[in-house]
Amino acid sequence: MLRSAASLLLLALPLLAASGCAAVKPWERDVLARPDMAWEPDSLEAKRNTHIHYSKEASLPGGGAGGGGCGCN
Amino acid sequence: MLGRRFRSRRCAAALAISIRLLFGGAASAADAGQLAPEFKAPALDGGKAISLAAYRGKVVYLDFWASWCPPCLTSLPLLEKLRKEFPSDQFQILAVNVDQDVEKARKFLERTQVGYPSATDPNGRIPESYGIETMPTSFLIDRSGVIRYVHHGFRKGDVAPLRERIKQLVSVRKK
Repeated sequence: MLRSAASLLLLALPLLAASGCAAVKPWERDVLARPDMAWEPDSLEAKRNTHIHYSKEASLPGGGAGGGGCGCN
Repeated sequence: MLGRRFRSRRCAAALAISIRLLFGGAASAADAGQLAPEFKAPALDGGKAISLAAYRGKVVYLDFWASWCPPCLTSLPLLEKLRKEFPSDQFQILAVNVDQDVEKARKFLERTQVGYPSATDPNGRIPESYGIETMPTSFLIDRSGVIRYVHHGFRKGDVAPLRERIKQLVSVRKK
């Protein structure tokens, strides 16, 4: 009985947390499109850092997905 | 053993349904061949309310734009030029601005003046009904109100193929 209650609680907790999530529609990206919402505020600096990183690590960078921006085009 | 397996399956199903309810329910996108959803919205310049029905009988290019969307801003002056290439009783451009801060859109239109009307929809009711998936998105609608082409994004090179599509639709007379 106690075990099933615990499993139910385990199941309910992530759902409760997920209820705070909301998908941002393309026309709602007003605030996200602001320059200060970008992961990297200085794009030139970010490109330089990424270049150094993958030159040293001999790997490809994984940046660029998600985050701020208007998501246009 | 069997009972436990049944219970865990039931839990998994409940979890899947809950996740679907939480994140699902997106509107399906309006596509070519479908009737363009009707709308009536206030004009951005404070003028008479704009409705799609008022443009029935003309070929309409319905453009969703926002002041925070760089390709939208590229498109506006180019669309204005394109509009002037066709007679106004045959072809019209109708824009829907989705800025939540309407003042930003007004300021942009003061700088970049266009001769076609722009509706304002800060709550996103119209893009929701069209199921917009990216910004900007435009719909080329024929004289009968049927969507003939959906254009996603905007680049300068898009104008030439767009002009051809408009020419083709304008040449078709309403039955």
